[in-house]
Amino acid sequence: MLKSLIYKEWIKIRWLALAILVAGILMQINIFLKVRHDIIFVDAANYWYSVLFRNYQYFGSLKFLPLIGGLGLAIAQYFPETVNKRIKLTFHLPVDEDEILIKIQTFGAMSLIAIFLLLGLFFFVGSSIFFPAEIIIPALLSSAPWFMGGLASYFLVGFILLEPIWLYRGLYAVLGAGFINFFYVSANPGGYAPVLPMLTLLTLLAGFFLLFSGYRFRKGEM
Amino acid sequence: MVKLSRYILVLTGVLVAAVSIPSLYWLVIAKVPPSPVIFYSTVLDDFIIVNSSRMEERSTRIDSKGNTYDQADYERVMPLMFFRQLIADGRMPDSINGVPMDPALLNRYNYSYRFNPRSFDAPTPSLYPLLESQSGRVNLEMPDDYFRMKRGIEFIVARDNKVNVEKSRLFTDALTEKGFRFPASIIAGIPTTRKSKDEGYFITDRDSKLFHLKMVKGAPFVEAIYTPEGFEIIQIECVDMRTSEYYAYIYTRSHGVFVLMDEVYDLQRLPVEGFNPYENTLRVNGDMFNKCISWIGENWIKAVAVDDMYNVVKEYEESWPAVHDLTEGKIFAALFPFHIELKSSNSSFIRLYLKLSHGYIWIITNIVLALVYVSFLFRSRKPLVPHIIDIIIIVITGVFGLIAVSVYPNRFHKKK
Repeated sequence: MLKSLIYKEWIKIRWLALAILVAGILMQINIFLKVRHDIIFVDAANYWYSVLFRNYQYFGSLKFLPLIGGLGLAIAQYFPETVNKRIKLTFHLPVDEDEILIKIQTFGAMSLIAIFLLLGLFFFVGSSIFFPAEIIIPALLSSAPWFMGGLASYFLVGFILLEPIWLYRGLYAVLGAGFINFFYVSANPGGYAPVLPMLTLLTLLAGFFLLFSGYRFRKGEM
Repeated sequence: MVKLSRYILVLTGVLVAAVSIPSLYWLVIAKVPPSPVIFYSTVLDDFIIVNSSRMEERSTRIDSKGNTYDQADYERVMPLMFFRQLIADGRMPDSINGVPMDPALLNRYNYSYRFNPRSFDAPTPSLYPLLESQSGRVNLEMPDDYFRMKRGIEFIVARDNKVNVEKSRLFTDALTEKGFRFPASIIAGIPTTRKSKDEGYFITDRDSKLFHLKMVKGAPFVEAIYTPEGFEIIQIECVDMRTSEYYAYIYTRSHGVFVLMDEVYDLQRLPVEGFNPYENTLRVNGDMFNKCISWIGENWIKAVAVDDMYNVVKEYEESWPAVHDLTEGKIFAALFPFHIELKSSNSSFIRLYLKLSHGYIWIITNIVLALVYVSFLFRSRKPLVPHIIDIIIIVITGVFGLIAVSVYPNRFHKKK
């Protein structure tokens, strides 16, 4: 049962998941080619200076990729289920309804985390060619909330799409936007460090949201 | 499980509401006027308090006796600050206090510095450029390497991201010889070429001892600086003074502020009673005769003027109604039990800064909101018991809780 469930989800997201990964890698190749160009042809010391003392984020173009990825993946997974309320078919399976929702979501979240980890690894390897740990670690700390925001947006969009009443979808979206904002406040490099454990906890807790709208869907809230 | 997911949603909703609604409130209702700036007039022997904040007027300039000054008067009593304008107008006196007024000299002495607690609680870079301080060139030049201080000092060349082993060993040995114990805890300097000269870095070691490090003709220059017993440095801010009077401001755990004198490394304490580096901003405006030091809290400002020997010549103190004493502040404190900010004026870090509201009126508001919710339950004939936790959430978190429990409705009691 689990295998076929995962297979069904995989069919829904495979091309998009690949597209996010490829887009992320292409963007990073572009980033590192630019870094290489500026270091070789402009001035390496000045380039480091901008990164260290002028808050220049050489990886800034990656900011909204995780958010778009999270949104896209959630839409790919849950939108087909809400058309003609197809998810009801899944709920008719002889498995606990909450459990099946959690499994669907865990698969999506794991896929997204896997993509993000691959992109993070690529970023780490790429950065270490040009920069020492003193530049890479603040860069990772600065981009960590963007990736958490991507995961949170995945959880939120799934939760909003499964909500049966449009008014509530709107209300959830308003509070959800306020929540996503937590991850995208402008800060100095490393400025997010003290709040990262709290944001990690909030992101993980957001994984529970889906159960609430799933419940309302099942009970036929109108 | 589903119930748990709802409470997680409600608590997240409270968090989001407590961040966004209060900030919307202050966006709509004008925020408190920013604090005044104080200068010292040698001509008047008095302070001039400049308020550009009061909404009704543009900007006011008052002395401590309450006399007001228009732009022309203001320039006249602050000749050391506005000498260019006064010379252009032909209004500049030839001498003040018997000292002839030489524009080049005036320019050299004019000086300002500002300390913000935000710079104190901030992420610091861990790589710094060590400039050549005696290159013999007119302009300073950026080196091609950056140093870090861990088990030793290491210079990393930016071009190939590799350590310059020889230079690193040379500087590590020089530091160790003077008694420096790695790693460094505070590294302070002015990492830019846009300054009048280079004085390198002031660094505290593992034992909080203070050292001066610079590079002179490619060789290390290290000096151990004497500090008294129990002198616990929390922050060093270097300054570029064209008069070479002092190197840096040093802030200590016991709220002391010192300047570190040029060449002799003497510590001079500044007379800033009641200054708290964790919360207050500090300003120093200097000219040929005096320095005006002012420090600002939430609703007060204190200022002293000192002469060139750091003796206090005049003091000033002013306070104004705090935000929570103003009508908009009182309404705020009545509406919201607390608010959360992601950024703080005292820190460069992102955190969830929770601030409780002043006074206790919000308790009444919270109870009223909870009663409104209960009456709504009665009117729509809903049972009370399944909503007990929701009611408690509203009693504690007030309007934020009411919004959250309404957006994520509690319908678990409904029969299929």
